[in-house]
Amino acid sequence: MFSLGVAGKLRKIVGREGVLDRPEDLMLYEYDGSLAQGTPKYVVFPQTTQQVSEIVKLAAREGLAIVPRGAGTGLSGGSIARNGGIILGFARMNRILDIDVPNLRATVEPGVVNLDLSNALEPHGFYFAPDPSSQKACTIGGNVAENSGGPHTLAMGVTVNHVTGLEVVLPSGRIARLGGEATSALGYDLTGFFVGSEGTLGIATAITVKITRSPEAVATLLAIYNDVQDAATTVVALTSEGITPAAIEMLDGWTLRAVEASVHAGYPLDSAAVLLIELEGLREAVDEQAEIVSNLCSRSGAREVRRARDEHERQLLWKGRKTAFGAIGRVSPSYYVQDGVIPRTRIPETLRKIDEVGKKYSLTIGNIFHAGDGNLHPLILFDNRDPEQTQRTLDAGREILEFCISVGGSITGEHGVGMEKQDLMCTLFSDSELDVMKRLRDCFNPDSLLNPQKILPSTRTCRETIAPGHSSLNAPVAAAPELR
Amino acid sequence: MNSATIVRPEISSRCESLLGAQFVLNDTAELERYTIDGVSPQVILRPENAEQIAATLRIANEENWVVVPFGGGTRQHVGHAPERVDVVLSIERLNRIEAYDPGDLTISLQAGANLLQIIGKCAEHRQLLPVEVPEGATVGGALAAAESGPLRAGFGAVRDFCIGVSFITGDGMSGRGGGRVVKNVAGYDLMKLMIGSCGSLGVIVSANFKLFPLPQQTITSICEFELLSEAIALRDWLLKSPLSPIAAEILNPPALEYLRDTEARDPDDWAPEASGVAREAQWQMAIRFAGSDRVLARCRRELRSSMSRELNGSDEADFWKRLAGFEQRVAARHRNAMIFHVNVPIAESQAALEAARVAAVDYNFLAVIVGRATVGSFVIAFAPLAIDPPAVTQFASAASDFRSLLSKSSSALVVRCPREAKQHFDVWGSTPTDIELMQKVKRALDPKGILNRGRFLVA
Repeated sequence: MFSLGVAGKLRKIVGREGVLDRPEDLMLYEYDGSLAQGTPKYVVFPQTTQQVSEIVKLAAREGLAIVPRGAGTGLSGGSIARNGGIILGFARMNRILDIDVPNLRATVEPGVVNLDLSNALEPHGFYFAPDPSSQKACTIGGNVAENSGGPHTLAMGVTVNHVTGLEVVLPSGRIARLGGEATSALGYDLTGFFVGSEGTLGIATAITVKITRSPEAVATLLAIYNDVQDAATTVVALTSEGITPAAIEMLDGWTLRAVEASVHAGYPLDSAAVLLIELEGLREAVDEQAEIVSNLCSRSGAREVRRARDEHERQLLWKGRKTAFGAIGRVSPSYYVQDGVIPRTRIPETLRKIDEVGKKYSLTIGNIFHAGDGNLHPLILFDNRDPEQTQRTLDAGREILEFCISVGGSITGEHGVGMEKQDLMCTLFSDSELDVMKRLRDCFNPDSLLNPQKILPSTRTCRETIAPGHSSLNAPVAAAPELR
Repeated sequence: MNSATIVRPEISSRCESLLGAQFVLNDTAELERYTIDGVSPQVILRPENAEQIAATLRIANEENWVVVPFGGGTRQHVGHAPERVDVVLSIERLNRIEAYDPGDLTISLQAGANLLQIIGKCAEHRQLLPVEVPEGATVGGALAAAESGPLRAGFGAVRDFCIGVSFITGDGMSGRGGGRVVKNVAGYDLMKLMIGSCGSLGVIVSANFKLFPLPQQTITSICEFELLSEAIALRDWLLKSPLSPIAAEILNPPALEYLRDTEARDPDDWAPEASGVAREAQWQMAIRFAGSDRVLARCRRELRSSMSRELNGSDEADFWKRLAGFEQRVAARHRNAMIFHVNVPIAESQAALEAARVAAVDYNFLAVIVGRATVGSFVIAFAPLAIDPPAVTQFASAASDFRSLLSKSSSALVVRCPREAKQHFDVWGSTPTDIELMQKVKRALDPKGILNRGRFLVA
């Protein structure tokens, strides 16, 4: 009897055009936005929840891992197939299923692009609040997996604060519902637990989110500094004064010059740092707060505070911020983005520390971050063709994250642990605490069929962290990913 | 009913060697004080720290002792009646502020800390922990019960601002999620699991929170309506308007009675005057705004046509204090009230409130309603009418009728009803969330099911 290979069986489920298995096609799915790499055996594009369920069952029978993937914009290797296996791409599950304005909800398939949902909501006067910098490309399924943030999460919260219901496919192929349209569901909050689980618990196939009313007024301020420390102390002052802007973003001098060379956002080239501060809400409140914030910036050492005069200027200021990573790509062969978080009161000393680390390892480090949340994104520039420099980069990144932990912070605010920061999980959590997390993963994903070797360190990796100079990206785990 | 008659002295003696004799209580008066739905524990333990809790739970797990984690005891009436309770694990000695960083607007608290005292402490720094709880509630208890009140409309629920949690699992392992920073995705979000788990997954030992600036001034607009539909229309207008109230409560006509002061009466004797009072009174929306003079002036202007009166200063503070204590006020007056926590999709609010009224009337109850109109989260009390006190099975029938009128996304948890009535129905009701997964999670963190055995939605 003629029997189909795995590719054939996959094609039977999703159709001919829904499966990739030629090396030149698979190559395109070796990367995400991080430094990690891994080649899948197959890439499959399902169109329905039922197809996802059948693919998962097939994978289980064939002993193949499944790695769900949205747009591949992730920054921690979450959508990289570490050990071959099947990448489940959601490009064809990209329908907005329902916009329910009276209930303040929308239900979408996982492949819907973040900004597309906000654009669809705009005529109703609403938007989807989480706004990662990659929102023009990244998908809501990916946002759910990573619990994505963005500049406006300072006031609006991260993805988990906006998800009320999920339909998920479990590794057994069973389709389960978690939560619904009500703001809270009875029993354990598995919806909240699922968000941010990086594709290790199940595959979300329908997502019900809260929609947010568009603000009546918005003011965007650009505070310009001659000293990066003054910008840092401004953030401390804003926080402790109890002023809560919608967003407080910071770019240091090096980064803003790289951005200006690329997009001409209007950041002054001779400054040492800028703060991009946005205020939202009632017209009256925004006007008053803009005045208060502006005065506070000046008192804290800003040489000038500008307010965007119109929507065009405002969009330009944001374009600079949101395309910054791309702009860096023009000036350096590679860069390594960190995602550490610190208490807001520790921003000034942390910036000094990052500066020291740059000098110690002879590396250029640009700083661009969600200052209001204390969520840093140091960008370490390096040349990936130079293995020695690459190792220095990884070591510098690790030293920065260890400093974040030492001041009471975390290793990731919004990018996820993925396969990039697994060994640092041992620095942040005890063996027992990691074991509790593993038990919970095993309830959902007992054989680690879904996104294996992500988030939780293998015991071996943990022990190896004791050795100095170790880093996860070249750790001898089962299939070592290669640096790009 | 009371199965605590078999005295098991070995529990006390083993715990004494673990905690010291003075922290193991088993005299009758104490046991009486910790009685849950008529079931008394064998022993009350007052551990000093997480290590002692873990050590106790490891033994309890080995010996199959049924353990009830106990904070301020303000929510122990929730859930099925326990079949037996061996150990009450009181967290009262874990009552310290571990860290308070006003400059970062974050606070770290041990689970036994008194939440109202903490809220007072934050207010000294002009900061707000926006969760409303009864007197005596602890941090751990408030998380376990997922407490929320009117401020949820403006600040979200506790799941939205709890940034870290530490706990001990049923078999004595320490677990932790999150941390002390306001944004954090390292590891699974165990805060979400512990919040609302009613002590069935672990004993919470500490938790960290993000704080908010305390609003400097507020006003409350009271709007009155003949009909529920008119109140809902105002709610819908509010959802579309740029005004962002920090609270927007709907109150049905009988609810006003429970916000008044009346001399205490025998709780078995008192009953609302079903028709007389209710007919004259009206539906109310109480909408609280915070902001500058100009912001408040704008809110007044926009609401002018609907507003009956405005509350300020101490009158306003007093109103919200009474409203936050609504449930306790009802319970103090009716030993036989049945109180629901109801969550529905926002647009189904009107149907749900009408359903409550119909189901209540059919079984000789009066539905007394307050709730977060812009969230779809309500507290609904079925107060027994004096004319014909309900039989025990009527609670079950009324709950069943009410629930049958709600959509599948909705839930109606009976948080309080006479314990005799609990035997006749499921106080939890249905949930849209997958039960099998919940059961697996329960077994993962409490393999032998010793924590609050038999009381939670899943075993």
